Amino acid sequence: MDTTTDIMFDQDTAQADLKIKIVGVGGAGTNAVVGLKLDDLGDVRLAAINTDAQALNQSPLAEKLVIGRSVTRGLGAGGEVEIGRAAAESDRDGISRLVGDSDLIIIVVGLGGGTGSAAAAVVAEVAVQTNALVLAFATLPFSFEGARRKRIAEESIGELRQLVHGLIPLPNDVLLQEGDEDTSVLNAFAVADRWIGRGVNSLCAMLLKTGLINQDFSSLRSVFQARGGKTIFGTGTATGGDYVKDALEELFICPLLHLGDRPAQLDRILVNIIGGADLGIAKVNEIMTQVTQRFGSREDIVFGAVIDESRRESIELCILAKAEIEARVAPPAEPRASMPKAKRVMTTGLGLETEISQDTRAPRPVHTSKLLQKKASDESQDEFTFVDGEDQRGYFDKTDRNDYNDEDLDVPTFMRRGIKIKIK
Amino acid sequence: MSQSRVVAAVEIGTSKIAVLLGEILGDAGLNIIGHAVSSSKGVKKGEITDLDKASDCVHAAILKAEANAKTRVDEVYLAQTGRHLMGNFNVGSSNISSSDGVVRLADIDAAKEDAKRRTLPRDRTYIHHIQNPFTLDGRPVDNPLSKEGRQLQVGYWSVHGDSEAVSDSLRVIRGIDLDVSDMIISSIASGVVLLEESEKENGALVIDMGGGTTDYVLYRKGFIVKTGVVPVGGDHITNDLSIGLRVARKSAEEFKIKNGRAYYESEDREEKVWLFGDMTIGDHEYPLAAITKIIEARVAEVFDIIKEQLIADEVFEPSDIASGVVLTGGSSQLVGIDEAARRRFGLDARVSEGPKDVAEELRVPEYSTTLGLLHYALTGQEENQQQAKPSGILRRLTGLFN
Repeated sequence: MDTTTDIMFDQDTAQADLKIKIVGVGGAGTNAVVGLKLDDLGDVRLAAINTDAQALNQSPLAEKLVIGRSVTRGLGAGGEVEIGRAAAESDRDGISRLVGDSDLIIIVVGLGGGTGSAAAAVVAEVAVQTNALVLAFATLPFSFEGARRKRIAEESIGELRQLVHGLIPLPNDVLLQEGDEDTSVLNAFAVADRWIGRGVNSLCAMLLKTGLINQDFSSLRSVFQARGGKTIFGTGTATGGDYVKDALEELFICPLLHLGDRPAQLDRILVNIIGGADLGIAKVNEIMTQVTQRFGSREDIVFGAVIDESRRESIELCILAKAEIEARVAPPAEPRASMPKAKRVMTTGLGLETEISQDTRAPRPVHTSKLLQKKASDESQDEFTFVDGEDQRGYFDKTDRNDYNDEDLDVPTFMRRGIKIKIK
Repeated sequence: MSQSRVVAAVEIGTSKIAVLLGEILGDAGLNIIGHAVSSSKGVKKGEITDLDKASDCVHAAILKAEANAKTRVDEVYLAQTGRHLMGNFNVGSSNISSSDGVVRLADIDAAKEDAKRRTLPRDRTYIHHIQNPFTLDGRPVDNPLSKEGRQLQVGYWSVHGDSEAVSDSLRVIRGIDLDVSDMIISSIASGVVLLEESEKENGALVIDMGGGTTDYVLYRKGFIVKTGVVPVGGDHITNDLSIGLRVARKSAEEFKIKNGRAYYESEDREEKVWLFGDMTIGDHEYPLAAITKIIEARVAEVFDIIKEQLIADEVFEPSDIASGVVLTGGSSQLVGIDEAARRRFGLDARVSEGPKDVAEELRVPEYSTTLGLLHYALTGQEENQQQAKPSGILRRLTGLFN
């Protein structure tokens, strides 16, 4: 899959004419889009794509597309990815019309089910062909939703990542850590939507509103030049009191920013600040200083600061960055140092018998690559680490999955069990 | 000194490499003449992930032990761990062929061979065949030779590992021109020195919770009936804390050591702990409950996995594990780990204080596996006995390290 295709954008896209379309794919994706509470942003168009005609009819969105009527008769994909895929494939033309004529397309999808998991990739593929900048927010199912959904989601996210310019994975297990300790699981589903809302809102506000430091579409697309790679995303928001300090603190403890190894290379970091009329340059400076201290050098970071008149003593911070993924290509298998063929049987006390056998056959590539891969990762675990969305494994990021009964034991137990940890 | 040889017991752990040098004096026993513990690199979850880094660390540790003992190593006994280790219980049988119906040596051998004949896939290597009691027509017998019966059976707990992973660890030792005389899995090595004979008889579960793995061995009626490796250790606790509290690994490690407890109590909600505790900028308060809840979930899960595996093999019989759970390994230093084990297993539990018969500085969890390796280095050259040996070995570790 081509991960480095540069897209030629129209350099002169004026902010005012910027066409943004947010497309919910599948049931969960549609719900998230319906639930979006965007600041008064003017021309952001909302759309939904689903296999389930009835569900789609009930949604208040302006643009709706039922896909795969011929496959499902409008009855949904029933959790089957193959049906979802067939449905999307059968309606490529419709998808193309829906996403066409946009500069920025934001796909919102909940992975793990039948429609979203399969159709999101098709939508992404079609959207990229229109030369738009394509970003995707994708939620990943809770561990307790079962191994099947998890597997579907993981496969889907792998595919999606190659297609879009920026993919923001939102693992529900991680997001559950936000909010009160007694948030019920039902509410927990809404947490993901809230995160998507913040991300989408921040992106749109940055592009469409004016403020103290304006960022235009070209800064966004300069961050997301190439397709593939990792996207880092985090937000912090606060109202009243010492809201600058509180929002910064929330940004710094944002769970999405605290997983996984630090990517090898963070090309460019985009930080956007949305505040009310009371957001002065002094406050912006304070934020810039603290964010720079935490995330890297001033040259790496592009700041934007916009004013939303409806806000008062309220601020929203959003960080977006793109990192190249280290090539995980298996290196050529080099022959192991030849070793004499030896097979010994040894006997020790307790009736233990030990058999050591060795031969000179070529190593299995998987194992060799595992050894060599390690060299690429550095030792400095003490540094601030950024999330690799679907990897919730931190220190064990680059090691083999630790599968036991369909769970990855390297992922913290408290996350897999949905135990909320309150750290404030 | 012509009869003596110097054996290095080496454990390549995830966080530490432990080396013990023993001088084996023919029949006279064994002197521990050198020791070294150094930090480990290139090992995760008990398996070598970077051959060069791991080799450098192991070589440095052996050199340090050699310098400490002012001697050279002749051979190496190597501990094995990692999730690649697996085991099966196989029962072999033979029909008594002699006309007088008396068990001959040939019948015993035939039953043993039968138990061990299961072949492994090409990429797997047997590490141990651990013998369990003989039964003659269904009745347990200590020594079936010359007893009367029709059918002789014997069970083996057989442990095997991934050939490449095993080769990698051998390669590390060969890199310094040393020979590996034997490999012993870590759990068995720890168990043999930490348990009294009576405890093995009464039944005991030894859990060695290290940095990257938790190795366990279950003794029932004096025999090893099951071993296992859960590829989760103290590193996971640290990682969970790092992710859950959103702090650097180093801070997470400090929280674990300073404030960690293996179970959560409701009073923890009220208590706050400081990240640095030195009033510096960036210092931050965390609820103790966050720390203990994160650790409790992880520790309970590891114990539950072990219990599940014992139940799956139908060897979890509390009445047959009367001596309870004995905890060792670096993570056994975690406050309340015995209580957590008591709760999860419903068995008595204690943290091992190390073997009594060795110098105090060797009674730390770091050395239990390597002490066990030396046990096998000493007993291995004697006649292979089927039964667990009397605990003489530790009494014979005469010239304790000074």
